[in-house]
Amino acid sequence: MRYALVVLLWASLGSPVETARAEWTVPDELLAQVQALNDEQAEFITSGVALKFLPEQQLEHELAMRDTESLQALVNDLISLALQMGYDPERDMGATPLNLASERFNRGTLPTPAPLRELKRDPGPFSVHRYLFPKSGVPTFAGAKVAIWPEDLVAGKVDVAIIGVPSNAGSGRRDAGNGPNAMRATNTIATPDMQSLVDPLEVLSVVDYGDFSVDWLATELSVNHVTDMVAETAGTGAIPMIVGGDTSMLYPGVKGVARAHGKSSFGLLHLNAHPDAQQHGDHTVSDRQSLFLLLEEGIVDGADTVQVGLRGPEVSVESLQWLRSKKVRYHTMTEIEQRGFDKVLKRVLREVDRGPDAFFVSIDVSVIRPAEMIAAGRVAPNGLHIDEVTQVIRHVCAAKEIVGFEITDLAPMLDFSRLSVINANAVLNACLAGIAVRKSGLDPDYIHPLVRDHGR
Amino acid sequence: MDDRILRTGLFAVILAIAAIAAVARASDEPPPPLPTPETPEHVTGERPYPFDSADPREEDEDEPPIELPDSVSENLSLLSPDEIEFLKSQDARRFAGSEEDTIEALEERTPEEVKAWVNAMQLVIDHNPYKEGRDSPNIPLNMASPEFNAWRLQRPRSMDPEREPGPISLGRYDGYGGPPTFGGLPLALTREDLIAGEVDVAILGAPLNMGSGWRDSGERATADLRLLGWPIGNRDQYVQVNAGEVLNIVDYGDVAVDNNSTERSMQHVRDIVREIASTGAVPMIVGGDHSLEYPNVAGLADVYGKEKLSVIHFDSHYDAWWGGNHLIGHGYPVYRLINEGHVRAADYIQVGLRSGGPDKTGFNWMREQGMRYHNMAEVEQRGWDAVLDRVVAEASEEGRKLHISFDIDVLDPAFTPATGTPVPGGMTMREAITIVRRLCAESNVVGFDLVELHPALDPTYKTTLNSAHIIKACLTGLAMNREGLTAGHYLSPLSSEHAIDDYYGDQQQFLNATKAEEEAEEEEETGDAADE
Repeated sequence: MRYALVVLLWASLGSPVETARAEWTVPDELLAQVQALNDEQAEFITSGVALKFLPEQQLEHELAMRDTESLQALVNDLISLALQMGYDPERDMGATPLNLASERFNRGTLPTPAPLRELKRDPGPFSVHRYLFPKSGVPTFAGAKVAIWPEDLVAGKVDVAIIGVPSNAGSGRRDAGNGPNAMRATNTIATPDMQSLVDPLEVLSVVDYGDFSVDWLATELSVNHVTDMVAETAGTGAIPMIVGGDTSMLYPGVKGVARAHGKSSFGLLHLNAHPDAQQHGDHTVSDRQSLFLLLEEGIVDGADTVQVGLRGPEVSVESLQWLRSKKVRYHTMTEIEQRGFDKVLKRVLREVDRGPDAFFVSIDVSVIRPAEMIAAGRVAPNGLHIDEVTQVIRHVCAAKEIVGFEITDLAPMLDFSRLSVINANAVLNACLAGIAVRKSGLDPDYIHPLVRDHGR
Repeated sequence: MDDRILRTGLFAVILAIAAIAAVARASDEPPPPLPTPETPEHVTGERPYPFDSADPREEDEDEPPIELPDSVSENLSLLSPDEIEFLKSQDARRFAGSEEDTIEALEERTPEEVKAWVNAMQLVIDHNPYKEGRDSPNIPLNMASPEFNAWRLQRPRSMDPEREPGPISLGRYDGYGGPPTFGGLPLALTREDLIAGEVDVAILGAPLNMGSGWRDSGERATADLRLLGWPIGNRDQYVQVNAGEVLNIVDYGDVAVDNNSTERSMQHVRDIVREIASTGAVPMIVGGDHSLEYPNVAGLADVYGKEKLSVIHFDSHYDAWWGGNHLIGHGYPVYRLINEGHVRAADYIQVGLRSGGPDKTGFNWMREQGMRYHNMAEVEQRGWDAVLDRVVAEASEEGRKLHISFDIDVLDPAFTPATGTPVPGGMTMREAITIVRRLCAESNVVGFDLVELHPALDPTYKTTLNSAHIIKACLTGLAMNREGLTAGHYLSPLSSEHAIDDYYGDQQQFLNATKAEEEAEEEEETGDAADE
């Protein structure tokens, strides 16, 4: 009876790795050991379910070395683990209860309605500076003007709204919640593009659109509000450039843009060390599930998704097989090391060029090597150089119609030198420059003759 | 001072009693059963929180509706009777201010603007509280996940080579040279290990990285305390006690947490704390954010009984906030413990508060509840020594069992910059070591936690080092308690005075006390030899 339950549990899975486990068979020389077990135990071992709890070599070692009594004890324990693994409504909390008596239950998810705003002003972006050519003052993204309401975006015909989403959860180290303000405070965004000499702020109407509110204790409670706000922003015609926050916010970021522009109406360029394709997470949303949710819900098509820089602990046979099954064009660090970055860059750009007209560009800062980005919440050794990352991003933002951009998981307190913040700004700046080059009507690869050489 | 020296004279007698008690403890008693807690231990399934969760401090007194004069009646012409009723009500006061302000605001607006204004207020009033059907009453987890409990599954003993139960030394050379443990202490992994090793104190890492929602704690805190925690369980010069020699102390590993859900972590932490306390050992939890105070104390209450514990809460914040949408976070453990009846508010002692909150409502509530608070304002007024004696006296009342919850932000940020919510103007390390050592020696301490260590913020490592010394201070105190050194503010007569001259006029007392201790030790040794 117990065993039937376990088998049922596992039969319902059918994911690639379970298939791989199902392919495992008891080696011939160990069959006698298995036959000495009772039926339930023997069937359990034969099913390969035990490989969920201990590695193959270890299981075979235990089968070979243990006497029957000791082996039976182990197998019984493993069966018991299999039974504890899934959800049991009498034992486990299936849903986190909330404080229903709270008078502030939904506070923080309602922007102040217009009649209750204290100050009356005409809509449109406004400066936070006293001086015409300010060098310091209240920090904003790109030193840009501030917009607070959608009518400000409309009145200012805003092209790009840079938004903070300071979530601070996920599977990595913490402090992503300070990402947006750190990037505001060390302002190295909106410098002229070195290749084209286009100044983004000359060409584009850019604003700091403030932060969207998040629930610091539950990613799940942040998702709906952030999705709504991103959709509203994109609906004004502005490009939302989102600054996280941990990578769980990729899901509402892309989902909100899709609500405004249509599901599967754009491709996704995703630079990340981590595949974030976890299929069976115990939460309904988290950083590790962000790409899985976007593809599973058809918000973007796997075939229109290009992923660059994969490495680290989450890359597994299971995750890569799943990405393949969704037709995601993934490029691991192994491919980059084997072929050289330039060749992979070419391949990535070709894939993007052949993809949909519009793209959402997203980057988890973990894709950058730790020497240049130590303040990544989920830091992983090796990785891309910052200039490699900015090259990809600048090109795609110049070549494609950009419907959204998101940079996530900068945890600034983890880097006392603040280099990580400067590099995170460089990434945002690369996309901003690309968008400006495109708006100027220039070819994405255009190089200004003055920067090509001194001409002598 | 005289008093202290005289009391040390009693040392020999007490020592003898302690020795007898220790022998009694070592006899072969059957291991105590793991208690099953009364009342809902935790929420299962999708059930709601079983306790009343309204914050009594937020219940506004009903104010009568205001009167609106005829002079503004024209501006109200577009409002329905319900909308007019709302405008007069207490709810509208939150936006519109006093009667006078409301009338002024009405006079400034056209009838259309008045209607938009009132509707906006109604929108906010309707939006903020929970509404059945509109809002989810909980945060559903992915119950279909086949790996739902993977995060907290425990490794069966049968998976590793068989061994006798008991603490395991990881070092090759007399305990040294292995992976780092708290203070280099041996490791225990199960309840059986604690019982077999007659463990007195189990230090448990709790890498909860949620509550503060700010900065980085988690596994960095528990790992760094193992790397830099060498003072833990070492000799204390002031009292000449080596806790590691007097007590059986172990590293009990880390407890599993779900760092995407504080609420979900609480239940499992409480299980493990209960597991430790049920053996008679003192759980010493290092974290991790201050949400942990809730499962730590609840786990102790499961073993020692509801309302049987006092808690002393060292913190710059009072952590009795309530009324948000979540039922636990690093600002609410005190309130939740009281609300669920684990601890009476009157058995709470707060030390070191100085953050912006709480306001007068919060302090009045604490007074009404009989909660004793000792804020830095009291220290400023009375001086540290007076407050110290008062706190120790309160904590030792009636010999009640005591849990100490030590948030390192009670210390001044000069000593502990690496914490989630530092507040300047706090305790010094000298003050902290003394009060913690005294409490653990002079009161009946059954649990201790040290929380809110965020090591990444401090490249000098001094925060971690200071945290280790706080833990050491309590271990020293617990060892003094075992040795019978429970007299008020005991200090070694040998290390606290050279006694070569009579500078302070009490040279002889120190010499006598030193001699008395030496004789007592000799007697003990002779007694031990005779026993053998």
